Amino acid sequence: MPFDLNFLIRLIPALLEGAEVTVELAVLTMLICVVWGLVVALAQATPGPLSWIAGGYIQVVRNTPLLVQMYLVYFGLSMIGMGLSGFASGLLALCIQNGGYMAEIYRGGLQSISLRQYEAGRALGMRRWTLYTSVIMPQVVARVIPPLTNQAISITKDTAQVAAIAVMDIMKVAQVWVESSANTYDVFLGAGLIYLCLTTVISLGGRIAERRLAFAS
Amino acid sequence: MENTLNDALSLATDPPVVQQRPMLAMSGIAKWFGANQVLKGVSLTVAKGEAVVVIGPSGSGKTTLLRCINLLEDYEDGIVAVDGEPIGYFVDARGKRQRMGERDLAAAREHVGIVFQSYNLFPHMTVLQNIVAAPIRVRGIPRAKAEARARDLLAMVGLTDKEQAYPVRLSGGQQQRVAIARALAMDPKIMLFDEVTSALDPELVGEVLAAMQQLARDGMTMIVVTHEMSFARDVADRVVFMDGGLIVEEGKPEQMFTAPRTDRVRQFLKRYNDRYRL
Ligand SMILES: Nc1ncnc2c1ncn2[C@@H]1O[C@H](COP(=O)(O)OP(=O)(O)OP(=O)(O)O)[C@@H](O)[C@H]1O
Ligand SMILES: [Mg+2]
Repeated sequence: MPFDLNFLIRLIPALLEGAEVTVELAVLTMLICVVWGLVVALAQATPGPLSWIAGGYIQVVRNTPLLVQMYLVYFGLSMIGMGLSGFASGLLALCIQNGGYMAEIYRGGLQSISLRQYEAGRALGMRRWTLYTSVIMPQVVARVIPPLTNQAISITKDTAQVAAIAVMDIMKVAQVWVESSANTYDVFLGAGLIYLCLTTVISLGGRIAERRLAFAS
Repeated sequence: MENTLNDALSLATDPPVVQQRPMLAMSGIAKWFGANQVLKGVSLTVAKGEAVVVIGPSGSGKTTLLRCINLLEDYEDGIVAVDGEPIGYFVDARGKRQRMGERDLAAAREHVGIVFQSYNLFPHMTVLQNIVAAPIRVRGIPRAKAEARARDLLAMVGLTDKEQAYPVRLSGGQQQRVAIARALAMDPKIMLFDEVTSALDPELVGEVLAAMQQLARDGMTMIVVTHEMSFARDVADRVVFMDGGLIVEEGKPEQMFTAPRTDRVRQFLKRYNDRYRL
């Protein structure tokens, strides 16, 4: 395929505009899910009905495709007259699914903390809030940084599925350009490189956070 | 502090006359693990400033008894009071035994320091942070004051140079002394020690026992579960022997070790002496 500089000069800004949407989706999903996943994980760890509601939620969202969830949100909500924009639907679906994944990550982190840590805190007179904020969660956070980094990478890649509900992210921009130019290879190569840049930034950030939070090493 | 020591000595020597209320009073503690009853109605009273050493064969319920005191282990019957205040369970106006709410329980636990065999330091905190965490977060003591107190305690356990170290960088004996300092930082009314030297290399045992002995000398009320018979002999005001979830015999150390009243204690000490040639 001939290398067409003119084509690239027009393609790159368009892809970068898509990248802005991709980054917005990915960052918002991560920020929301870091909190939402923790809420679900703590609910699941609390004995009682909350626990099985949280458990059921995790099972359902992890075992159905993101694309299906996205269509259900996008078309389902508009069917009952509460239609959201493509962006909002995509974001909601990404959060619903990744909240489940994040909850599983936190659950693993919580389970890795020895019961003796809880006992040591309680024996010092700590109540639940103090125990979690000063003893348990700092250790959980340090342990979940690597899996959270992986999740952030997978969220970034998963945002590509919002193209299916007409959100102009990197992927959708690429599809539009392919349709109008037939220059398939260059377009998707460009898109892939942008995704790679984004995920590389996340990897590096994760590694820095890991090093910052690693205690005693 | 010297006064408390003298009080303790006189309390230990005189027959129990009408005296100040005990620092710890456990009565009728019964505990089941499933169908297995591991505490069969244990009652134990510890006077202010008294150092009680608990000995007994493996599985006799020593650890469980200590853990019941601050309700780290729930129990089915009996009540505990520290300095006259109930902890864990209380008896309500209608005479019914009730479990304390989280807030009251936490407040009561502040008065009971416990040191575990496995140290259980907070690995994400430095030595100093480990010690000041609860005083600051639980008791609301200003950081500067908490840190000053922590440094005094570190000096007492001989770890002044380690305040910025993380627990993994310390030897077992050093970690255990930090754990002791951490518990003391809450100014507990009683300290509980559960085989705090059994996970340590033999050459590190001495430094931890020395810190505990100093504490006893300063008049701290304490219950020490240990297999270190020499510590029991040298430091205990009273030795309690447990077997099968019951206190089988108690007495002053010289009496228990030289002239035990029951066969169970005699056998236990003989087995112990055979093993360690003491
Ligand atoms: N979490 C538990 N679940 C079931 N049984 C338990 C549990 N903890 C202790 N036990 C049982 O309770 C009994 C008393 O145990 P405990 O640990 O109090 O004994 P101990 O006197 O401290 O023994 P050791 O000298 O070995 O430390 C034992 O029979 C033990 O098997
Ligand atoms: Mg034990």
